[in-house]
Amino acid sequence: MRTDVRFPARTSLEQILDAFERDPEFASMVTRWKRLPAVAPRFAPFPIWLDERIVRTLRARGIDALYSHQAQALESAHARKHTVVVTPTASGKTLCYALPVLHEIAKDPSARALFIFPTKALAQDQLAELERLSTEMSIELKTHTYDGDTPPQARAAIRSAGHVVITNPDMLHTGILPHHTKWVKLFEQLRYVVLDELHTYRGVFGSNVANVLRRLRRICAFYGSHPTFICTSATIANPEELAHRHVEEDVVLIDESGAPRGEKVLVFVRPPVVNASLGIRRSALLTGRDIAATLLASGVQTICFARTRVQTELLVTYLRARFPQPQWPPELVRGYRGGYLPSERRAIERGLRDGSVRGVVSTNALELGIDIGALQAAVLVGYPGTVASTLQQMGRAGRRGELSVAFLVATSSPTDQYVIEHPDFVLGRPPEQGLVNPDNLHVLVGHLKCAAFELPFDRTERFGTEDTPGILSYLDEQGILHEADGRYHWSDQAFPAEAMSLRTASNDNVVIIDTTGGKARVIGEVDRFAAPVLVHEQAIYLHESRQFQVERLDWENGKAYVTEVKVDHYTDAGLSVRIRVLDSFASDGVTTRGGRSRFERAHGEVLVTALATVYKKLTMYTHENVGWGKITLPEQELQTTSYWLSLAPDAAPGWPKERIEVALAGLGNLLHGLAPLFLMCDPHDLGLSVEVRSPHTQRPTIFLFDMTPGGVGFSERLFRATDALLERAREHLAACDCESGCPSCVGPAYAIGHDVKSSVADLLA
Amino acid sequence: MDLRDRLARVAAARAVLREAEAHAQDHDAAAGDVASGRGVALGAPPSTSPAAAYSVHEERFDVPALGLEIVGIADPDPLTLAHLGLRGEPPRRWEDIVFLDTETTGLSSGTGTYVFLLGTARIVDGELVLRQHLLQHLGGERAFVEAIHRELGAFRACASYNGKAFDLPILRTRIVLALRGELAVDESHLDLLHPARRLWRDRFGSTTLRQLEASVLDEPRGNDDIAGSLIPDRYFHYLRTRDERIIEPVMRHNARDVISLVRITDRVARAVMDARRGRVPDHAPAALALARIFERHGEGDPAYWCYESAYVEGDPTIRVRASLPYARALEARGDVDRAIAMLETLLALGRGPPSWREQAESRLRRLMKVRWRRRELAPAS
Repeated sequence: MRTDVRFPARTSLEQILDAFERDPEFASMVTRWKRLPAVAPRFAPFPIWLDERIVRTLRARGIDALYSHQAQALESAHARKHTVVVTPTASGKTLCYALPVLHEIAKDPSARALFIFPTKALAQDQLAELERLSTEMSIELKTHTYDGDTPPQARAAIRSAGHVVITNPDMLHTGILPHHTKWVKLFEQLRYVVLDELHTYRGVFGSNVANVLRRLRRICAFYGSHPTFICTSATIANPEELAHRHVEEDVVLIDESGAPRGEKVLVFVRPPVVNASLGIRRSALLTGRDIAATLLASGVQTICFARTRVQTELLVTYLRARFPQPQWPPELVRGYRGGYLPSERRAIERGLRDGSVRGVVSTNALELGIDIGALQAAVLVGYPGTVASTLQQMGRAGRRGELSVAFLVATSSPTDQYVIEHPDFVLGRPPEQGLVNPDNLHVLVGHLKCAAFELPFDRTERFGTEDTPGILSYLDEQGILHEADGRYHWSDQAFPAEAMSLRTASNDNVVIIDTTGGKARVIGEVDRFAAPVLVHEQAIYLHESRQFQVERLDWENGKAYVTEVKVDHYTDAGLSVRIRVLDSFASDGVTTRGGRSRFERAHGEVLVTALATVYKKLTMYTHENVGWGKITLPEQELQTTSYWLSLAPDAAPGWPKERIEVALAGLGNLLHGLAPLFLMCDPHDLGLSVEVRSPHTQRPTIFLFDMTPGGVGFSERLFRATDALLERAREHLAACDCESGCPSCVGPAYAIGHDVKSSVADLLA
Repeated sequence: MDLRDRLARVAAARAVLREAEAHAQDHDAAAGDVASGRGVALGAPPSTSPAAAYSVHEERFDVPALGLEIVGIADPDPLTLAHLGLRGEPPRRWEDIVFLDTETTGLSSGTGTYVFLLGTARIVDGELVLRQHLLQHLGGERAFVEAIHRELGAFRACASYNGKAFDLPILRTRIVLALRGELAVDESHLDLLHPARRLWRDRFGSTTLRQLEASVLDEPRGNDDIAGSLIPDRYFHYLRTRDERIIEPVMRHNARDVISLVRITDRVARAVMDARRGRVPDHAPAALALARIFERHGEGDPAYWCYESAYVEGDPTIRVRASLPYARALEARGDVDRAIAMLETLLALGRGPPSWREQAESRLRRLMKVRWRRRELAPAS
């Protein structure tokens, strides 16, 4: 074999795809093979008002006209209208906001702009791009990033002299707004606020950011400025609405991209069932590895997306094993995720752009607009959770005028199985809505305190849609604010922004550490709420079809130490979740197809307590009980909002109690699996509890609750979408080709009950 | 559920946190004399401004009665002021310097921390005039800030204790917020914390103002002094009740801080002046600290005296620390032989950490060369 050639079998992408299509084994896994035609660009001339230095520089770069959406964005922003531009990947969005800002500063050097990016990495990327542009244009522009990495000695200069300050919401929240007197020049002359990757500002994070922006506008008003917001967003169903929730004024929507696109193939892959009785499918990770390896071996530059850090690492390891040195270059495949050093990330980005890095495995960190050029192929291992993310990740592959391909490989979760069974869910329908609830009382009150710290509140002032005077007078009674001359002043020693994080506590996980053979190696993580069930001491934890026993659980520090074992049993812990309904906001009957009211739906505020007490040891395959043990872990408590669905009195006439129990558990699993599709949320953002006789409804009831304290509005959405949710559940169940229930629909029959699938089907019929 | 109940729940979730932050309210009697026993007392009822936004309390003290020997008596020596960390052109008269200390509603910087009490001291006609501006309600902050801005605007420079990091940034924030103005005294600022640290940290460990009162002025503060950590809550309590007795201990605390600041300044200045006249402190760490100040400002003689004192009076550790600069000072005075002898002795005794020994050895080699060259060049005798 020749070893001097790096890519011995360099084949065109067209040929590789052809080979994939002809391979019968592969073809049997494919649920949809879709070819999207190329799209031609649409151009528009430069606006006549645009500063001639800008036009000259762009022409020198070979840009003789703008794409139509860029020109629209320029006009709109120039007319001082808040603007949201919806742009697919690689459609030249930077110019949409950079040009109006550059033009403004070229005309008036005292003008200022604030760029807000969701992550520090994006900020760095944009800083470089802006500096290049302004240097070429010989427009004097001082641009700086202001974040946790900014050295203290540079901060004073940035505050007074930076034309464009690039930051992230967290820094704005704790580092800039509470110290606004140090930023007088910025706030007095703030003309534009750029909010990039708007679609990431949804859910809890988005609700927090919307409030940070309320505070920002309040401070701008104090200094007499009224900045225009320019937002960019990936494709979501409601960009205008989401922008409106953040800007709270009218927003112009620009969503017709004029950028060209090459021909593209999208492939939906479902790994085959390998254990019919347990309903277990071949690992998506291994299937994804095989696809990526085939592409890489042929010299196709490929990006893989995995859902978690750990999976990212595993995939890198697997792929490297496929391409051993010295036949293959050492840096053929790189990993990329949060936790890497910034310099490592920069090097990988550069390598991707110049082609020296042929393959990269990333978490969703590379989904956002970091400039890595356009690759030829994308392999998504697991449905990324939302249609919008899927489109973003698939969009990472796609060069102008060239063929590209994206594979989506499903895991065995109900969500993935639904999507892979219904590719039109991704292809045919508008993607999810970006939901925020800035008026969630937890979130709102927290930010109102921060706002009061920043500037005293007038008695008549409004902050959000809640009753602001009511909250103010309450905080006054609590001694947190103090009223004097009709204004409420901060009267507490604390610095309120410090106590609040904008991001969810979703990184509060328990890490699983394999200590087999004396070496410590992180192999996985589980979220804390689920940890007592999955990684209590003596639990058998399954990972990549290997068995591990939990030797020690360090609850405080979130670490579970495991060693590999070979046993013929698994463990199953009971989590006793109790739900106390504190308040029901609304309730209603559900009219199903038969015209009969089988369900009642409601949503409201609840207190969830969860306690794991005992676990059972069950044999593999036969599921016999061969022992048990006690779990001693603290009870967990969560006050949040919940949606609940209870069985109407005549929903299951004459059914024995056991069957109702089984049906309810199965339906709960099914709805819990499908609800994230409606909510554009991660499955872990939603909790499930099933009660055969709920103390509140007195009926068998399924609770789906928000895992964020206080809730971010999922419950109300589910309440409204009940009909559609049940309809989709019915479809999914009918389409699932398991016999009696599997992890992809109602849950494994062996664990819940042999008649689970038919019982749920009867309930939904 | 109505808003109030929902808010109560939101608050309940954070109750544990707040509990931890809460401070015991301390309602001790407001009466009692200031411990100094030098006639510092808040007697007269505060004069109230027309808007009742703030009150101004003024009191005068006899300078010698405060034990001052330089401040308010001898003109400030520009070099001494420079030694004390003053940048820019130094003021010629003590009258141009305002001594200040603030009390605030919290320790964090940021726009939600208010200055509610500014205590100042200045020299007027040979007397020390203490003035305290107290913000009586938060609605009057603008008037209050205007008043203190005017008050401070009359001076060329200010002196504080840790004001560079704390008092001045917060004052600046308040002035920008209320007036969009600037603070002139900020530019020339005498922060006593740094010279005090250099002079006394080795001796007393801590150099809080309170520690210095006890150690340098030999006047420990009594138990009637309110702890700094209780002050913000005390003020919030005052805002709600408007009971002067509640805020009185804070006023006394602040008055005491300002007076101490003046007296500590006097002590620091005195130490510098004495050393220049050859009266070097016999406390080795203080002598070493002063030696460094003199050396930095190019005053060779006092630097040499101080190094010598530090070396002679010091324990082995101080000797090691003083040895290299002392050798440099000796060399500058042409006394190479003594420098060599000193370093040889210390090295022979096996003193100092390896890093020091390395430096000492290389210095020794250099000194040997110097001596050799001098002998070469010296006319044959």
